Amino acid sequence: MSTKRINGIHLEKMIKNGLAFLQQHEEEVNRLNVFPVPDGDTGTNMVLTLGNGVRFAKSGEDAGAYLRSLSDGMLLGARGNSGVILSQFFRGFAVEMARCPVIGPGELRNGLIRGYRTAYEAVVHPVEGTILSVTREGIEHIRSQITRNSSIESILSMYIAEMRKTLSFTPEMLSVLKEAGVVDSGAYGIILIFEGMLKCLYGEVIDPVERPQAPSETPLIDLSLFNENSEFSDGYCTEFILQRLVNSRYQQEFNRDNFISELRFFGNSIAVVVDGMRVKVHIHTLYPSKVIAFAQQYGEFLTFKMENMQVQHNEHDRIIGTKKAHKPLAVIAVVNGEGMRSLFESFGCDIVIDGGTTMNTSSAEFLEAFDHVDADAVVILPNNPNIILAANQAVQLSKRRDITVIESRSVAQGYFAMAMDIPDSGDVKYRISQMQSGIENIATVSQTVASRGYSYHEISCRKGDEIALLDGEIVSVGSDYAKTIADTLSAIPDIDDKETCVVFRGANVPAEREEELYELLSARYPLMDFEFINGGQEIYHWIIGIA
Amino acid sequence: MNDFILMADAGCDLSAKLQEQYDIKVINGHLVLPGKGDVPSFMKWEDVTREQFYTELKKNPSDYATAPANLTEYENAFTSFVKEGKAVICVTISSAISGSLDFATAARKNVLQNYPDAKIELIDSLRFGPGFGLMLVHASILRSEGKTFEEVSDYLVKNRNRFHQAGWLDDLSFVAKKGRITHPKAFFGTLAGIKPIGEFDSGGLTTVLGKAKGAKAAYAVLMKYIEATIEDPEDQYIFIAQTNRYPQAEVYKKMIEEKFKPKAVFINDVFPFCGINIGPGLMAAYYMGKPISDDLSTERALIEKFIAEAK
Repeated sequence: MSTKRINGIHLEKMIKNGLAFLQQHEEEVNRLNVFPVPDGDTGTNMVLTLGNGVRFAKSGEDAGAYLRSLSDGMLLGARGNSGVILSQFFRGFAVEMARCPVIGPGELRNGLIRGYRTAYEAVVHPVEGTILSVTREGIEHIRSQITRNSSIESILSMYIAEMRKTLSFTPEMLSVLKEAGVVDSGAYGIILIFEGMLKCLYGEVIDPVERPQAPSETPLIDLSLFNENSEFSDGYCTEFILQRLVNSRYQQEFNRDNFISELRFFGNSIAVVVDGMRVKVHIHTLYPSKVIAFAQQYGEFLTFKMENMQVQHNEHDRIIGTKKAHKPLAVIAVVNGEGMRSLFESFGCDIVIDGGTTMNTSSAEFLEAFDHVDADAVVILPNNPNIILAANQAVQLSKRRDITVIESRSVAQGYFAMAMDIPDSGDVKYRISQMQSGIENIATVSQTVASRGYSYHEISCRKGDEIALLDGEIVSVGSDYAKTIADTLSAIPDIDDKETCVVFRGANVPAEREEELYELLSARYPLMDFEFINGGQEIYHWIIGIA
Repeated sequence: MNDFILMADAGCDLSAKLQEQYDIKVINGHLVLPGKGDVPSFMKWEDVTREQFYTELKKNPSDYATAPANLTEYENAFTSFVKEGKAVICVTISSAISGSLDFATAARKNVLQNYPDAKIELIDSLRFGPGFGLMLVHASILRSEGKTFEEVSDYLVKNRNRFHQAGWLDDLSFVAKKGRITHPKAFFGTLAGIKPIGEFDSGGLTTVLGKAKGAKAAYAVLMKYIEATIEDPEDQYIFIAQTNRYPQAEVYKKMIEEKFKPKAVFINDVFPFCGINIGPGLMAAYYMGKPISDDLSTERALIEKFIAEAK
């Protein structure tokens, strides 16, 4: 069998097969996660990212158009670093295919090249031995062999073979992989996707894995928040899909732009997507009846959803649904755990996104958060290295210039950024620069128990060992948590110049331990100021910011 | 005629020794202390040490309260001086944080009904703590130099915006409690490592102009700020106030002495009348210098520049 050209319908089947194949191996990819702390579920992140693209994508014969909608969905749903890089790869691929209703060998080659180049551009410091290397070498090593007569199957087979070759070298490229005795998880993930795509061409269809709906799609609502004494000012979040009908009772002339300008009379936050005779509408309005009457001139409702925005969604919705009052500067922070969330809210953050234990916040969640703040400028505190990319990607997608990502790599850095803010100052730029300076020269020590065995350089640990990390690198392993912390503090090069230690206690650590740790640390560093905060974070027992 | 009374409320934080040295009459306010109820304000650590007081205060701030001298107490104080034929200049703690001036104003009115010829001048210091106390020391020196009642009153009104504060308040939860600060107050109880640098504003409060990360950076910023705003340092007495930051105040004192060579630097305590409202985190120098701009724009620009340089 040899396929010379694929259209959008073929491509959609292939992508879905790729996703299903990746899903089958999701746990295996997760297990390649080299770090002994479960802070990155590469397989899950890649599945969620591609899955969002597939859900968002519009079926159609035009391959270029299909790819564009797929990549839009992936950009929005990208989670974690691997997800962002994957979404950027597909973005590049889609851009190259923009004018290609059908994809032949030459187009496929160019798309794969554009894909990896776009992925490299998206990363500030590209690391070799990852998804980047396999996608680059995969195509660069075979591009000269691709001719007009090459079949899609042969190109993908060669591509996958080259990628697998590079994959086997990733431990040589990235010593952390070698020490852990694994290959790179993200690189493996993308190979699985292409293998699934190739299998589709050979007729091997993989059943998609049914996964339960994410809780955020069915928000639980605390109805007691809206009662007889409430004032109603926020309106209803109204969403529906309208099926236009050809019956002459309905208006037949439909123009999206005019439709939107009419809707503007009834509310704001309007989004209208037109797909053939179907129109998807999102609007915040005080008067849904007027919107219904207006829309019904054109057709009837396929689905209809309406929510009172005065009622705050509970924590399952991750993001508070109501629009906040206008402010000069709003702050969006990502944290893990209920304790940390309320802590950052008490610090004055406007929206606190719970990144979950794996901290894989998607760009879409940031975009949603942007919608819920009303401010002249917005600052994002990702508080985790795995989220910085997604945050930056969200800013690019939003095309807003008033959003700054302050690249905080830990909640400790996020704390110092918030502490340096001067809310009374009328100068927003100055406030942002103060917050930016907050994260500079902050060492972060985090302490927990290893969730798996690990070995890197001279450090090795077994599952269950107490471990302490300095800025993400394991420095100390032992049986006494306090000693691992003390040893890690002493590894900070300028520890003698440091003045302050802010200690966040984790959710499952008894409060009495604070005293114990304070005594040990204050004896070692008598001139240092210590502040203990009940952080309530989940994975790390202790997170310590040293300034 | 310079035989007039200089009087102040308990917000001036002048120790008993300084009150005597500069002949300043202080009218006590009221304190509510846990387990003790309503007691007169004091400016001497007798029953409790500074450390004990502020440590306990930090634990249960809501058990503590202050009130200025009431109407009758002001009336009695004024009457006692007026009866002797003495004119009174009474300087009060900033009206932005206390009702002291209101009570004094009402009391003055009542006293004038009985003694229509009495001379009682009320002046809102727009300051509190040792910044306010330093103002009285200057007034007292002028009085001893032979300046008249009118000259001294006039001096205080014209020059009160030249009394600077250069320091930090690293526990803003107490100020937040007073409603001054809009930021969520819980945060300010835990501002570890960050030194908010504040200056007196024209409204009689302090405004945070910038924040320095760590004491070392803060000292550097403050020394530059004093240099840029002080006038004739070698002729001045400089006060350093601290609630529970004595070691830091000593470091600061040494730096100021070496750099500006003033007549003297005194480390003053902040006594409970002010301290209950400020909390344990104050460490600041008070001195005379260039007039403070009404919107603090000049001062803010200086602090921002010095903070940038300190990074």
